Amino acid sequence: MLCQSCEKKQATTHIKTIMNGELKEYRLCSDCAKKYGYGSFLGDFGFDLDKLFGSFMEGIGAPKTRKRCQCCGSSFEDIARSGKVGCAECYDTFYDELLPSVRRIHGRTSHTGKLAHSAGTGVKIKNEIAKCRTELEQAIKAQEFEKAAELRDRIRELEKSMGDQSTAD
Amino acid sequence: MSAKKYTDLTDVNDVVISTRIRFARNLREYPFPCRLSDEKKRKVASIVKEAVLEGHSAISDRFRYIQMSELTQEEAVSLVERHLVSPEFISDRQGRGLLLLDDESVSIMINEEDHVRIQVLAQGMKLDEAYELADKIDTLLDESLNFAFNEKLGYLTQCPTNIGTGMRASLMLHLPALQESGAMGKISASLSKLGIVLRGLYGEGSEPSGAVYQLSNQVTLGITEREAIKNLNDIAMQLVQQERNARDAMSESINVLDEIYRSYGILMYAKLVSNSECMKLLSNVRFGVEMGCFEIDIETLNRLLIEIQPATLMKNIGKKLSPAERDHIRAELVKTALSQKKIPTSRRLENN
Repeated sequence: MLCQSCEKKQATTHIKTIMNGELKEYRLCSDCAKKYGYGSFLGDFGFDLDKLFGSFMEGIGAPKTRKRCQCCGSSFEDIARSGKVGCAECYDTFYDELLPSVRRIHGRTSHTGKLAHSAGTGVKIKNEIAKCRTELEQAIKAQEFEKAAELRDRIRELEKSMGDQSTAD
Repeated sequence: MSAKKYTDLTDVNDVVISTRIRFARNLREYPFPCRLSDEKKRKVASIVKEAVLEGHSAISDRFRYIQMSELTQEEAVSLVERHLVSPEFISDRQGRGLLLLDDESVSIMINEEDHVRIQVLAQGMKLDEAYELADKIDTLLDESLNFAFNEKLGYLTQCPTNIGTGMRASLMLHLPALQESGAMGKISASLSKLGIVLRGLYGEGSEPSGAVYQLSNQVTLGITEREAIKNLNDIAMQLVQQERNARDAMSESINVLDEIYRSYGILMYAKLVSNSECMKLLSNVRFGVEMGCFEIDIETLNRLLIEIQPATLMKNIGKKLSPAERDHIRAELVKTALSQKKIPTSRRLENN
């Protein structure tokens, strides 16, 4: 497909923006993408959506609150403008404001991967159960019933320990 | 013909040049780098440095610390050319530090976009091995550094595009036949729907120099590290298949073969070769090796891909060179490396 701006070169950059709730898509060549300020995320290390992220947020309209993060002093406008979150606490402070953009970027809103040292035991057990359930399904599909039985026991055990924890809390 | 023909799916070195796994992590107690003064950045750097070097693991002794502000421009750019740091990392080197493993397979960038970026590099297709090493280092560091983590959003990063696993897995691929066939635009558009990005690694435009592409996962939230790696692996394998099919379709094309042998001829006899020309010619020679035209060790070609880059060239020579001097040394370097291998086996078209 040719670039929609110059109509000369092959389009290599696909841009999706939401302006006033309306989704717009553009396909640009690298030169035109650069010209319109979308060139930077073609940097070397992974896909950098900084600028694009910034433009997502502007479209939503800045919230009227003057809320600031108590840890780093960022306002939501600061984050929306730069596409950069100020600190870990910002994610708690502006959770509701950030969530729509997070969903747009990743398509999902909850983490299922590795857990940090600091994560609560409750979450650890919950994730372990989810992992065992996926493995259980696979084991049943593969007709590995011995393994399936082991996994089922493990899930029961984990569920029990979670129940114990909630009564202890 | 004695040259190796690649058909095996356990050996995909004819397409996959290298693997990279990168984790983005931050210290809970400090604002992200965009909100840090140079002084605070230095503080973060010294905390991370200590956690790595004083860690009680066998690997700790093998790291050395580099204060980025103390490097010359050539040394800094060479780090980028060797893929050890990002170009962004050397744009402003104040308060930034790098921890490098002795064999350069692991680099930890401090105060890039995030406080800590753990990166593992490996030659060829090594997604699982690279992930396991990165995971191990991450777990070790997390114990002393206490990384910022949220139960809903996972690891917290300065840019929301990295939250969740904070993991970016990438494969560097050589796709000359697919590029030649003009299919790249369509392929990368369809991959973007699957949460995978494919883009040229060197140069701009739809035909990156050297036909080197980078394939990486885009989504980091709501997917486990293993799932993301499996997706990437599956898609890479499909690309390997497609690239090999395209190569087979071209293997009898006199135009393609002419370009391959012509490129080899230029590299063997030219006295001045610019960086971009060299990338293109080396890519063609590599294509020839992959098609069974010559026998040249693919690792020699991987190594050349980095050694011919301007800053790395000057760093290895040990002095500043003018562009013309570089072009001359580059030509000699490539000639020497290629001459160490056997003379090309003559390959004729079967119908002739």
